[in-house]
Amino acid sequence: MAVSVSGEGAFIVELDRFQGPLDLLLHLIREQDIDIFDIPIARITQQFLQAIEGVEQRLGIDRAGEFLEMAATLVRIKAQMLLPRRVDESGELIDPRAELVRRLLEYEHFREAAQRLAEAEAERALHYARGFVPPMPKPEPKDNLELTWEELLAAAMAVGERARPPAEHRVVARAVPLEEKIALIIETLERFARVEFRRLVRPFADRLHAVVTLMAGLELTRQRRVALRQREPFAPLWIYRRNGKPSDADVADH
Amino acid sequence: MQTSQIIEALLFASDAPLSAEDLARAHEDLDEDAVEAAIQALRAEYDATGRAFQIYEVAGGYQILTRPEAAPYLERFRTVPQPARLSAAALEVLAIILYRQPIGRAEIEEIRGISSAGVLRTLQDRGLIDVVGRAEGLGRPLLYGTTQRFLEHFGFRSLHDVPRPEELPVVLREHVSRQKETAAT
Repeated sequence: MAVSVSGEGAFIVELDRFQGPLDLLLHLIREQDIDIFDIPIARITQQFLQAIEGVEQRLGIDRAGEFLEMAATLVRIKAQMLLPRRVDESGELIDPRAELVRRLLEYEHFREAAQRLAEAEAERALHYARGFVPPMPKPEPKDNLELTWEELLAAAMAVGERARPPAEHRVVARAVPLEEKIALIIETLERFARVEFRRLVRPFADRLHAVVTLMAGLELTRQRRVALRQREPFAPLWIYRRNGKPSDADVADH
Repeated sequence: MQTSQIIEALLFASDAPLSAEDLARAHEDLDEDAVEAAIQALRAEYDATGRAFQIYEVAGGYQILTRPEAAPYLERFRTVPQPARLSAAALEVLAIILYRQPIGRAEIEEIRGISSAGVLRTLQDRGLIDVVGRAEGLGRPLLYGTTQRFLEHFGFRSLHDVPRPEELPVVLREHVSRQKETAAT
């Protein structure tokens, strides 16, 4: 029995045999044949507090909190019992114990259901399924390794190789605005009928400028405002004004 | 090969219950009625010849299991896999999920009055419960329900086969009547 009465009438309880404060409280009530709808709250509170004495040391602070919370609830109900009863909307007296009783009965219901499950489990356990699943072999302690420093180093390097994090793919906002390059092409072609792509790009060190300039050229081509011409692969790329009258005289690369 | 032999071979080789529908897939000429008839024939044969095993209905299917009378001999053997028993806490959480599914962790902890995260994880790892959805509301908490594996573990044929809540000695009148109200509306 998890609860026994000592000489002074105090309860000595093995707390870890209970599934929390509701289980303990229910045990105290049922053990003494107390009517759950008329719990002598002062007596039960005292017994509960005695049962959980030193709970922080016995169960650790995490599980203790749940018991202490219930203790606080009991003390609050005990105090409310001394005050004049309040009434609800329909004029009936509110019993301060009502919510606790509801929780205890709900918990007891599921504790009973768990008991039925345990019985079903025990019955099922009498039937064995066919088939043997071999137990996992216990890892045997290995002998001391015999190897050279070079082998160890090589192994460590191989681990490093495998463990290297995947290369990061960084996406940064485009530092070179497309509009800027479009404006550059248009401005240049206002003065010259054609311009070589390389001349627009050469002043800038970053390759991104070449990329964005090409994108600008393609965009303007799409809008039919310029034409891109290249005689053969890797030959110089020329950008031509579309609506102007191209003539050799006003070429940009003189 | 006879139908009953095919069914017997399948039930013998399977490590989980097989439904009549599953078993009927073994051959084009088979249907569920033929499977059921073959199972009845096999059962009668096992009884008549006094086999130590029988075909049982578990989790919506059929499974060959030893008869309970054999248990005292089997449990002594290390080479016979012994059924695992669940802890009291695990059974309590399972009972709550069984009758209130789908249910979230907060509700379970409210009923038990204690933290239940560890038990939930264990039950999920063992395949007895699973996440069946998410609740509306803040954080959209996970909702749990019982699984096929749950029925197998307890030897229930289906969820209709579990103990009815009204049969339990302590009936939550309030909850039962509330359920009836919602069912009526």
